[in-house]
Amino acid sequence: MSDSHAIALTINGEEREALVTGRDTLLTVLRDKLHLTGTKRGCNQGVCGACTVIIDGVTIRSCLSIAAVCDGSNITTVEGLAEGRELSSVQLAFSETGAVQCGFCTSGMMITVKALLETNPDPTIDDIRKGISGNLCRCSGYKKIIDATLVAARSVNAGEGS
Amino acid sequence: MSLSPKVIVPDELALALDLLADDDESMCLSGGATLVAMLNANLVEPSSLIALKNISEMSGITMQSDGSIGIGAMTRHAMTASSALLIGSLGGVKDAASKIANPTVRNMGTMGGSIAFSDPAADYPPALVAAEAEIELQSKDGSRRIAAEDFFIDWYETVLEPGELVRAIHLPKPDENAAGHHEKFARVEGDFATASVNVVLAMEGDTCRSIRIAVGACGPVPVRNLEAEDVLIGSSLDEEKLIKAGSMLAQSCDPLDDVRGSADYRLGLVRQLLIRAVQQAKDKLAEGALA
Repeated sequence: MSDSHAIALTINGEEREALVTGRDTLLTVLRDKLHLTGTKRGCNQGVCGACTVIIDGVTIRSCLSIAAVCDGSNITTVEGLAEGRELSSVQLAFSETGAVQCGFCTSGMMITVKALLETNPDPTIDDIRKGISGNLCRCSGYKKIIDATLVAARSVNAGEGS
Repeated sequence: MSLSPKVIVPDELALALDLLADDDESMCLSGGATLVAMLNANLVEPSSLIALKNISEMSGITMQSDGSIGIGAMTRHAMTASSALLIGSLGGVKDAASKIANPTVRNMGTMGGSIAFSDPAADYPPALVAAEAEIELQSKDGSRRIAAEDFFIDWYETVLEPGELVRAIHLPKPDENAAGHHEKFARVEGDFATASVNVVLAMEGDTCRSIRIAVGACGPVPVRNLEAEDVLIGSSLDEEKLIKAGSMLAQSCDPLDDVRGSADYRLGLVRQLLIRAVQQAKDKLAEGALA
């Protein structure tokens, strides 16, 4: 097929390869080619945040990333949060606080919260609201998500891992 | 389903400019926050995408020898929103950057990409007009500079010619005795502005020494009204003058009715946002004086 680009990505520490067209977004590659379906396609316009991943240390909308341009990047998806079967602090906090209803926003939320806590380990509620302002949740009203973020922050600060 | 564009990621600006000149159906890809959304929605069909992310000289905020500030077109909003160089009269540009969308989109979007699109509801256009920015355009045949207020010419239209890209945005040396503020009203945090008012203010004691006001999201391009500014210059920025200036400003605006608000609502907002923007700018000046 003409206009195909071979790309190499490091995803959650693993080297992966894919053949992509010019239009393919990173979201398409993650879900449809690499079968990492934890990252969700919500609006495909960058507004809802369900597609959020971490690339080279910063949160990025995978639906707005042209895959061919991501060649060589280091990516963390929701599948990379746990260590084997051990959930990360953020995942545990979301689970135990009841911050997950339908679960569709959850991947993007946890990735965003993980990145937020890495730059701001002791966020105020206002910091959290602003930090997750790019992640829409239709179910929860956000309160438990904010609570879960505070729980995760406390546990990270108590040295219980990330 | 459209054909896929070719994707090219040049390391050198010269190559990017050659590619742009050779193919008038090619498009530059900066942050992708707007262009890829449009591709996903099948609203554009470029023959190729010239990704600018590896052209390092196009990114970054630097102070020139004359004190002016250069912002590379590929500079992400997150960097602009936290720049220590955008002080005093340039604070409204920093403020505008911090109010674009949300943290993740601010990691991706760039100033050059944003202004090249000339979205009438975007935050940079009024900020750059109020801050007296100049836009540097470049093609393989050379470069030129245009004042921000002449760069945006209509809904989603700028003076960019085929083969040209935005190379950098230049801001004058900051006046540290002035303050800039971007007052934005949106339906929810992170939305485009329903209306915005950007103000650059300098005071002489309790008197307004100078003021520049630009309104966003109330017409095809940012709106200024020099008579409204004249009403305020030399005044104590009292309520009566602000109401009068706000009224004159609203009269220069030509907003639409759209999903974010009616034209009438926007005109009402402009009056209120002017009052708030001036108060915020005054507060920043007071804080600066104490610092």
